[in-house]
Amino acid sequence: MLFNTIDFAIFLPVVVLIYYLIPSKFRWVLLLAASYYFYMSWKVEYILLIVISTLVDYFSGIRMGKLEERRSRLPWLILSLCINLGLLFSFKYFNFASENLNVLFSKVGLAGKIPMHELLLPVGISFYTFQTLSYSIDVYYGRQKAEKHLGYFALYVSFFPQLVAGPIERYSRLAPQLRERHILSYDNLVNGLRLILYGLFIKMVIADNISPIVDQVYANPENYASGHVLIGIFLYSFQIYSDFFGYSTIAIGSALLLGVRIMDNFKSPYLAKNISEFWQRWHISLSTWFRDYLYFPLGGSRVSKYRWVLNILVVFLVSGLWHGANWTFIIWGLLFGLIYLIEHVLNRSLKLQKEHSAYSAGHLLLALKTFFLVTILWVFFRSQSFGDAMHIFKLIVQNAPSDPQQLLIPLSTWIFLLLFIVSDVFLYKRRFDSWVSGMHFLLRWAIYGVLLFGIIAFAGVENFPFIYFQF
Amino acid sequence: MLRKRWSYIAVRILSLVLLFSGMNLLYKHVFFEKDLQKYSSIINLIRDVPPDVDIIYLGESSNNTAHEDDQDKRKISDFIADYYPGLALYDMTKPAAHAGIFKVLLQQLPAESEVETLIVTLTLRSFNAQWIHSPLETSLQKSLVLLLPNPPLFNRFLLSFKAYEIKTKEEREQDFKKQWVEDKLHFPYEFPHEDVSQWNRWMAYKGIRDEQGEIDRAQTELACHYIKAYGFQIDTLENPRIADFDAIVELALHREWKLVFNLMAENMEKAGQLVGEDLIFLMNQNRELLKHYYGSKGVIVVDNLSSVEDQFFIDQTWTTEHYAEGGRKTIAKGVAAALLTWYPDEYRDARY
Repeated sequence: MLFNTIDFAIFLPVVVLIYYLIPSKFRWVLLLAASYYFYMSWKVEYILLIVISTLVDYFSGIRMGKLEERRSRLPWLILSLCINLGLLFSFKYFNFASENLNVLFSKVGLAGKIPMHELLLPVGISFYTFQTLSYSIDVYYGRQKAEKHLGYFALYVSFFPQLVAGPIERYSRLAPQLRERHILSYDNLVNGLRLILYGLFIKMVIADNISPIVDQVYANPENYASGHVLIGIFLYSFQIYSDFFGYSTIAIGSALLLGVRIMDNFKSPYLAKNISEFWQRWHISLSTWFRDYLYFPLGGSRVSKYRWVLNILVVFLVSGLWHGANWTFIIWGLLFGLIYLIEHVLNRSLKLQKEHSAYSAGHLLLALKTFFLVTILWVFFRSQSFGDAMHIFKLIVQNAPSDPQQLLIPLSTWIFLLLFIVSDVFLYKRRFDSWVSGMHFLLRWAIYGVLLFGIIAFAGVENFPFIYFQF
Repeated sequence: MLRKRWSYIAVRILSLVLLFSGMNLLYKHVFFEKDLQKYSSIINLIRDVPPDVDIIYLGESSNNTAHEDDQDKRKISDFIADYYPGLALYDMTKPAAHAGIFKVLLQQLPAESEVETLIVTLTLRSFNAQWIHSPLETSLQKSLVLLLPNPPLFNRFLLSFKAYEIKTKEEREQDFKKQWVEDKLHFPYEFPHEDVSQWNRWMAYKGIRDEQGEIDRAQTELACHYIKAYGFQIDTLENPRIADFDAIVELALHREWKLVFNLMAENMEKAGQLVGEDLIFLMNQNRELLKHYYGSKGVIVVDNLSSVEDQFFIDQTWTTEHYAEGGRKTIAKGVAAALLTWYPDEYRDARY
């Protein structure tokens, strides 16, 4: 059940209505049933994976909670890591590993061949695996008490607004809110609807209208003149941003309707002055997850210079691999790590960053530089192989087909894209709901009108699932 | 305080009503036509119908597919028109269409239209699981959303929010394979296979043998295909195609149209040769069911099911309703004879 379908447009109001009508002590049952139903609408059988993750982490947590010594908790943490990462590996990375090992075997002359499976990747497996792992790790370190109520724990793992593509929430933030006695609040309702409206707009009007154009260019880049290939690449930057930002905004808005505040996942990332700031503004819930559960345990910056460089590269490499089982993602992650390190060195020696306040000319130039770099790296992310990515770069420089195909982009797409960019500039320091709440009634309703009309009359009609669902 | 709150809410509700009304007007007058041409150009089939037409022939590819050796490559509907030169017959042909599509198209026919009679193509194969769960369905269903009897803005909302069954090719394949297992076959005599899936597997294993006793792969594959295409028993309560034809009957009653269902010819000769009498039994059973079911509703069902010989089927390695000239003329002759009930004075023997 996608957020931008009629099914969800019926499902969400029904759940919200029942939620506020029933006594609060039964609400977890409703939300858990709704969340499982939501997930099963993709593939019924895969609910088993969530149930397995839930049970393993629940019982590991209970066992760890009873043990005083951290060392004695370790086997339970290992069990949780093995089961969760094992499932993730089986579905997401097994074929990739087999394929590469088979190539290696054939190169060294070994006859054996590891077979591959044809199982579909369960939607959102990387998201809920990381969410539930964060709980186990926190209980292991003693930062979090073990949850005794299986129902609430199961709900934490599967809370439908953020189940399939995040934001990846921490137990300490989400679980207490699930237990709270929420009363129907006008502010939550209005702000939730505002966020859903804005999220739908950027997904359905921006991302879904750009998507077929980008697909065309990436499918047959050699048919287009260099300029059009370049346009396709730049449009992909906006496609992936509006697609994922749109999803996260709808998720946050949907949770808010239930009185639950989940973390912001994006804060105008293309206005970041450098790669470091970009990752503080892009997919924030994942970046902070890697910071807390990988970078810090590796020693963070409190290690030798060489070790720190290694830590940075490891974090970005794993981040790349998290996105997908393909060398392109690994290269994408590593390149981000390298640029991060180069920028770090340059910024320290040239002190480029600190002098520029928000919206100044200096900020704008640095933001353009960051946007350009990120756009280049998205080519690896979008391409099917490293060769394809290099082919695209080559075409940008020297492609001149004798009869180039025209890249037809409707005027409405440009206008809405421009509106999105302008709104994103305004949202550099605040969220859409708080931004519009400060406006005059007429201006606010004019914005609602544009968004609503855009969603209804200009939404792309092809079925493009959210890009991050595949991760 | 309470009054202030209510007026606050009332202003917002009124704002929403005004907003939606304004948006509907704007959309209807500025953007709707462009969207219709982009996403539902099927509407042009109806728009092109002349207002003074007497008969509409609703067909799919069977109407306009001809063999390269045909002397006369005209459509079935043209041959029917030859029998009634005094009547204006218009054909509405959409490849891969079925009753669900015809139903929506007919709903668009303007009230001032003078149409008296509809000839609707009734293809036995369109009741099978593979056609019901065809990969073409997603795009066909999508093309109908803007034509639903709702305000234009609401239809565009339904289109934007994908209010039609979206399924991938793989999902639809899973659906019809599931149906092949779930729909049990009932014969009045002992039959060794419970369902199409078993029957198909048995045929694939047993195979069709050539003169040397070797398995002829191409013929075996074709036999399996015939089993999957015609090995079903129509359930009038469950089959979605029945619901579509029922809706056409209801619409025709309401609009006072005379209705002819043209049960298209299938290659029964080949079905008998390849699979045998069991498959013929099912085809005949479905034929009788359709004739009685719709006959009792006042529809003339033209039984062309076995009227075309094997030699007139263009596709010999697949099941289609594509006929060479002789086949198309035979079908037309059957329909023309049925129309005699209502138009005896207009009939001229076309000598086909």
